[in-house]
Amino acid sequence: MSTDGLDPVIHGPARLRIMVTLVTLREGDDLSFTRLQDLLGLTPGNLITHLRKLEDAGYVTTVKSGAGVTARTSVSLTRDGRVALDRYTTALRQLLDAAAPPPPAPP
Amino acid sequence: MTDGADEEAGMDPQQASVIMQEARDRARRALVVRRPVLLAVWGAAWLVSDGAIWLSVRGQRPYNGPTPAALATLTLVIAAAAVFAAIYIGRAGSGVGGLSVLQRRVLLLSYLGGYVALFTLEAALDHAGASRAVLAVYGAAAPILLVALTVAASAAVFLDWSLLGLGLWLLAVAAGSGFAGPVTVWAVSALAGGGALLVMAVIGLWPNRS
Repeated sequence: MSTDGLDPVIHGPARLRIMVTLVTLREGDDLSFTRLQDLLGLTPGNLITHLRKLEDAGYVTTVKSGAGVTARTSVSLTRDGRVALDRYTTALRQLLDAAAPPPPAPP
Repeated sequence: MTDGADEEAGMDPQQASVIMQEARDRARRALVVRRPVLLAVWGAAWLVSDGAIWLSVRGQRPYNGPTPAALATLTLVIAAAAVFAAIYIGRAGSGVGGLSVLQRRVLLLSYLGGYVALFTLEAALDHAGASRAVLAVYGAAAPILLVALTVAASAAVFLDWSLLGLGLWLLAVAAGSGFAGPVTVWAVSALAGGGALLVMAVIGLWPNRS
């Protein structure tokens, strides 16, 4: 099945799961790096790699705060990220609908 | 733990759809505080605690007040509900920061401050010579008023019409329950207050509603 029209930045298993997890939060909220890692079951290095790609596209922001034991890295979806995920979802639905077998013709 | 190799393998739209659904379900289970669960716990706690007070005072003429056992039941049930709510919200909110956390803290602080004010006012009424009957009406109705206003404020914060409806209903219960007298006010509070929370919980837990 073709994947034309699907945003290549989002269209990868790990990045898709990152985006869907972050969009669950209310707008204005963020999630700590460690909780996100825990939820997704990714290694820290792998998560950093994918977050960097999403950040480069302007879809997520990461903010570091505190120092030492209180250091916290928080991740949140940007407004552009929410729009991009909406577009991705719409495009995905259209592709799935187009690939679905047509309904049987009435007798 | 997974590595980055799967990103290079590509996936078809069907796989993407499955991954999205699984990730959404998992994130919701882990991160979202399900309001019906909290409403069910607080509704049951309210029903049992005020119901216990009513059972201990019914038939009293003149009104003498609840038994120590009923007051102990109220304290234990409310404490248990508070511990459950703290653990439930704490688990879902672990690692979550930002606006909604701040809003929740402001609401909680206002609510707790309201309770301190209620108890202080009750002590002032007692000091001014209010009868046991008046104190009973106040003790049952004033907390409903506080809950009603907190729920209505939550409706404004979370822009939720069903919460506004619940808040307005509880305001009506708070205002009207006092007319039931010092004994029946506890039954009205238990049924119309705790019962309303349970009804909201059932509606929210109905399939496809939350």
